[in-house]
Amino acid sequence: MTHPWPVAITGLGCICAAGNDLDSSLDTLYRGGNPPAAPVSFASEHPTRYPVFEITGFRGRPELLRTSALALQAAGEALTQAGFDRGELSRLRVGVCVGTTVGCALNDEQFCREYRAGRDPELEPIQRILRSNPAAAIAREFALSGPCQTVVNACASGTDAVGLGASWIRGGICDLVIAGGADELSRITYHGFISLMIADDSPCKPFDLGRKGLNLGEGAGMLVLESEALRARRGSRALSYLIGYGSGCDAHHLTAPSPGGVGLRRAIAEALACCATPYEEVRFVNAHGTGTPDNDRVESRVLADLFPGVPYLSTKGCTGHTLGAAGAIEAVFTAASLMRGVIPASVGFSTPDPELGGRPVRVPTEVARGGVALSESLAFGGNNAVILLRLGDDD
Amino acid sequence: MRMAIKGIGVVGGFGCGVAELEAALESGKVPAGELGVPTPQGQRIIPAFRAATERLEEFVPKRALRRVDHFSRLGLLGAHLALADAGRLGGNLDRVGVVVSSGYGATATTFAYLDSIIADGDVCASPTHFANSVHNAAAANISIMLAARGPSLTVSQLELSVPSALLSARQWLAEGRVDAVLFGAVDELSDLVGYLHLRRYGPKPGSVISPLDHGRESSVPGEGAAFLLLTRMDDGPAYCSIDALKLGALPAGERPVFREDALLVLGADGRRELASRYLALVPERARLACYAPLYGSMPAAAAFDLAAAALVLKKGSVYPIPGAAGCDRDGKALPSATSHVSVLRLAGENEYARIDMSGI
Repeated sequence: MTHPWPVAITGLGCICAAGNDLDSSLDTLYRGGNPPAAPVSFASEHPTRYPVFEITGFRGRPELLRTSALALQAAGEALTQAGFDRGELSRLRVGVCVGTTVGCALNDEQFCREYRAGRDPELEPIQRILRSNPAAAIAREFALSGPCQTVVNACASGTDAVGLGASWIRGGICDLVIAGGADELSRITYHGFISLMIADDSPCKPFDLGRKGLNLGEGAGMLVLESEALRARRGSRALSYLIGYGSGCDAHHLTAPSPGGVGLRRAIAEALACCATPYEEVRFVNAHGTGTPDNDRVESRVLADLFPGVPYLSTKGCTGHTLGAAGAIEAVFTAASLMRGVIPASVGFSTPDPELGGRPVRVPTEVARGGVALSESLAFGGNNAVILLRLGDDD
Repeated sequence: MRMAIKGIGVVGGFGCGVAELEAALESGKVPAGELGVPTPQGQRIIPAFRAATERLEEFVPKRALRRVDHFSRLGLLGAHLALADAGRLGGNLDRVGVVVSSGYGATATTFAYLDSIIADGDVCASPTHFANSVHNAAAANISIMLAARGPSLTVSQLELSVPSALLSARQWLAEGRVDAVLFGAVDELSDLVGYLHLRRYGPKPGSVISPLDHGRESSVPGEGAAFLLLTRMDDGPAYCSIDALKLGALPAGERPVFREDALLVLGADGRRELASRYLALVPERARLACYAPLYGSMPAAAAFDLAAAALVLKKGSVYPIPGAAGCDRDGKALPSATSHVSVLRLAGENEYARIDMSGI
């Protein structure tokens, strides 16, 4: 059984360096963001202090990885906005679909250091990792009984998780799905991106001539996806509608995108086909826009080719690249931008690159109501994922 | 929606390919190999089911594998074998999706990457190891080597990775996103996995898994890859069908209901704490089978259970596994003919998954 698109989004939650909830994140985003800074939660021997977007004022839980604590925070906010209490959730078929990268890695550095040093380290750090599977942690916290899935499609994980969660609603598997992504800043990934020479030693500049790479960030974005049957029972209002999801693999290289954007084009085409949405109806694109030379070149050329003149932006100049959370946080921002009718400026962009196929918006820009918005993610492994949203019900 | 299993590709401690898995199922015996585990007390040898990937060179040029690690090689071999088994190798995979699940990902490469930092400092972090340590590396390599440009998904849900990933594979087919899914699971042994096993379960004198013996710990770690080529049901040849899938948290006191004539393939794998939980959930007179003694304990074993169940259904009778198959919980022999199998897997405090399959 497959219900037709769309799937209603009735709750949004977000925590990132721009803010510890959705409203404060949006305030920062529309103000033009705060600059990144050298990491404070971990040290580095690296002579260059690559800046990051780190969340301040958030306390995790000692028994869980920070990734899962962030996921719980955003999920709680989204469920509250959707109007659910714990008792009600226990009577529903609620699934959890969450993207991550760091949140599934069996790589506690201190444990491994001690082991390599010839000691028998305490097992608690490993047990904490095993307890912290993000989807399972949310299900446990809210006593949910539906399926759990942690998507590990690298930096496309968050977008994929939202699209896959929607398929559980469409398939009649769940009444409600908490879908999104979460990732924490990690010393291990920090040095990995530096080693690949795709980290910027200054604030990142997506789509700019002077772009040098990404700044890492951390956070979580969660969406409450709700079946029409449940909405009819509750009389709930859709903030936005998910009207399409597509994905495609470049099958080209482990870390570099296909020069022609093969997988991205396929993902866009599939997402648009879900509701037979014409290309012309796309009002704006929340691009992946990491600020790496390769990503921005490929992505901007695809956008210029498929959506000439359509405004686009990257929010990573405000949040950093939050890896497995990125697609979910950007989905939340995309839904919120549709509700405001204005998209924020693409922070970090100032000088156009003639090599690119277009340029992102420099200032907050009004978008015509009634259209749709596209949010996309590109990832290691050649994964590309795209979701398509339109505005929800009027107040 | 029902799915058909059109091809099987397996590599594990029993060998490589359907024929060697069938031989292992027939004999009911696979001797465990050994894994050397560095410990503060020196190198310890523990029994382990290790998988060899030499046969991958039948499908992929050696040169193309230079930078491909063991984890991805396992996945590549499983994927190629499944396609070959289905007669689809070399065909157009434009409408084929790739779904890979793994409990722990590329642990050896993850550890090697950390090692580059620990041994040589932050500045010497290895970019190659970092790039290959991502969980979706195996799926990416499969897509690259097979030129599969459809949807690609990697899922890591610990012990329930396989059923969770299967849910998405089924949805892709139900929604018509793809015409087939190359579905599989990969887990690998490494120093870290071996060490954690040793710390958690201690050194064991035996190397034979007694899956339903809740009186002692007998798990033996394993590694390998099990892939299935899945399609919507059609009139073509297939091993069996996957009829239903359910996963989530089981309410306290609730027991799943199974067909009376179904063989129950349990995910019990010698971990003492799980054996009694499985036995508490299954009906008194159920026919039980556990095939983990042939490939070892690992999250990916659930995909091997699916492959074994498919072979049971194709054959129409239960393979004898010492101490478990063809018996009830008291060890009494039961009829071996079967056309329905339910694969059951437990995890956490109350998480479970069941996959119902039938013969064609």
